[in-house]
Amino acid sequence: MKIESTGKLQRVLNSGGFAVTAECGPPRGADAEIVRKKGELLKGCVDAVNVTDNQTAIVRMSSIAACAHLVTMGIEPVMQMVTRDRNRIALQSDIMGAYSLGITNILCLSGDHQTFGSQPDALNVFDIDSMNLVRTVQTMREQGQDMSGFELKGAPRMFIGAAANPFADPFEYRVMRLAKKIDAGADFIQTQCVYNLARFKAWMKMAQDEGLTEKVHILAGVTPMKSVGMAKYMATRVAGMDVPEGLIKRMEGVAKPKVAEEGIKICLETIAALREIQGVHGIHLMAIEWEDVVERIVSEAGLLPRP
Amino acid sequence: MSQKSQSKITVFHCINVFGDGDALPAVASASGELNFIKLPCSSMVKDVFLMRAFEAGADAVVVLVCAEGACRYVEGNLRAKKRVAWIKALLDEIGMDGRRLALFNVAAGDARSAKRFIQEALSVAAALGPNPAAARSRSDVALV
Amino acid sequence: MIVGEQKPISEIKQIIAPYQKVLILGCGTCVKTCFAGGEDEVAVLASALRLVCKTEGKRIEIEEQTVERQCEDEFIQESAQAVSRNQAILSLACGAGVQAMARRFTTAPVLPGVNTTFMGVLEKPGLFTEECSGCGDCKLAVFGGICPFTRCAKKLLNGPCGGSQNGHCEVSSDIDCAWHLIIERLKALGQMDNLRVYLPPKNWAASLSSGPRKLIREDHML
Repeated sequence: MKIESTGKLQRVLNSGGFAVTAECGPPRGADAEIVRKKGELLKGCVDAVNVTDNQTAIVRMSSIAACAHLVTMGIEPVMQMVTRDRNRIALQSDIMGAYSLGITNILCLSGDHQTFGSQPDALNVFDIDSMNLVRTVQTMREQGQDMSGFELKGAPRMFIGAAANPFADPFEYRVMRLAKKIDAGADFIQTQCVYNLARFKAWMKMAQDEGLTEKVHILAGVTPMKSVGMAKYMATRVAGMDVPEGLIKRMEGVAKPKVAEEGIKICLETIAALREIQGVHGIHLMAIEWEDVVERIVSEAGLLPRP
Repeated sequence: MSQKSQSKITVFHCINVFGDGDALPAVASASGELNFIKLPCSSMVKDVFLMRAFEAGADAVVVLVCAEGACRYVEGNLRAKKRVAWIKALLDEIGMDGRRLALFNVAAGDARSAKRFIQEALSVAAALGPNPAAARSRSDVALV
Repeated sequence: MIVGEQKPISEIKQIIAPYQKVLILGCGTCVKTCFAGGEDEVAVLASALRLVCKTEGKRIEIEEQTVERQCEDEFIQESAQAVSRNQAILSLACGAGVQAMARRFTTAPVLPGVNTTFMGVLEKPGLFTEECSGCGDCKLAVFGGICPFTRCAKKLLNGPCGGSQNGHCEVSSDIDCAWHLIIERLKALGQMDNLRVYLPPKNWAASLSSGPRKLIREDHML
């Protein structure tokens, strides 16, 4: 937060605005057109677009390449980077390479375990963890050095993001871990999808009590649910998700053709509630394989036009 | 086909089910060749004993253990049950068919039940045919 | 101890297929304790292989022997005569034992009959759990005696990840979240401050990452 702005996301947040980011999952293939199509749907209605890094451990087009395609379209990407697949040598190299391509935001993650993905027989790396990755990017930016202490010829000046999951356990420790991520160098936080508002508020309260909301920009994650099946899947099969029974009942309670509409309604209500919570500086809208709904949600939430 | 041979059954049993003086041999059936092996407790039926019984030519192996809850050593019969399940799986793995091995709980001295279980094993053996390893070695011998 | 599991019979059959005289050599230390390669397992495997070979009309002679430890030359020597009588050795030791045998008997094929799985403990009868990955740089003092490098599926140094729920790992509800255990333990010890500090990247140079390691004790060499 101390350094000069390098991108729009950082500008919006540092000027006290309410940021909106969305998500773009790269294709399982080499077709750049798919990335551009998703980019078109998101352009203008969000400040930056997160590009996932082989999410759920399924082999996809690399995050860096997909980010570079967005950059050429004038869209600001947030490059997600997981420590699952690359050691510290490759991670640092890719951070520098990404910055050289005009990528100015990074979200540092450990990554879903490979047992969930398309290659459960793969060797995982986890040479360093997400906390270490945050610190690495910060050291590169602030000290202009790589992890070995070498002076870089041109330091990557990334705006650094990290993830937080208020719905994982042990609950009390979650805020302590958030503090560690901030100390390590996180400028902004994107959270797991918020469905359980009560728990999210409790977490935010703890973060505020610790003074953390003054030190970092928290973007609350939201995901519109498209179907009852998706709601149930997220409730039971996705690690670290908390979808209250009441929401599933609500989705089940409407006629089938209206279910997606109800999902959007829930999402809009959530966004409205999140905007009321002190310390929430934005939303991260993850419309999974439903990018065409983003503009509508951002618009109906009253968050258009973007600065 | 040569003449029909009798099924060979090896019966391991706990002495607390049938002791020395008991009339277990009386359950012997005309249709089978029975070989009784008594153990101080059914838990002493080690994996290798069961395997060796098959190596010795048994077409089926029966383990008679005390009723559940009635083991003199508390859990001997439960251990025997687990071991038998393990070896049944091994027999399946080597193509011998785990059904050739069975364990039954029998009340002390209950010769009628024991006879019924042995009859059951005999019919299983008859259905599955002779021990494939023994059958092969018999024919090997014949060729010499 | 080293924990291992006997290979499936079908794989063992394939491995020993070229040989008619095979020595099955057990190891009386770790793999005996985990029921993979002690004297009893040698006997059962020998019996199973004899039965399967007879069933399939294949001739095989199997000799059985178990030495105290296949990872020490002193004990390995006891098998020399049996080795010379056979065409191949099917070792039921861990991978270290198999290699120690291969080192000593340079002309005899030494074949593995066990998959060496991990370094662990007997948690309760019939249950063995992995506890240590031999990283060469033990940090258990910081983590309340619970190793995150081994017991966290992501080897997290500053865990837990966002997949930890109700004390379970995201990989499987059968796996305890190591970080949950660490936090519970440090709370009980009054050492939660251990987790407030940022832990820098682990130095993996002491691990297998730098190639096979050696322990040299000059004072024991002549």
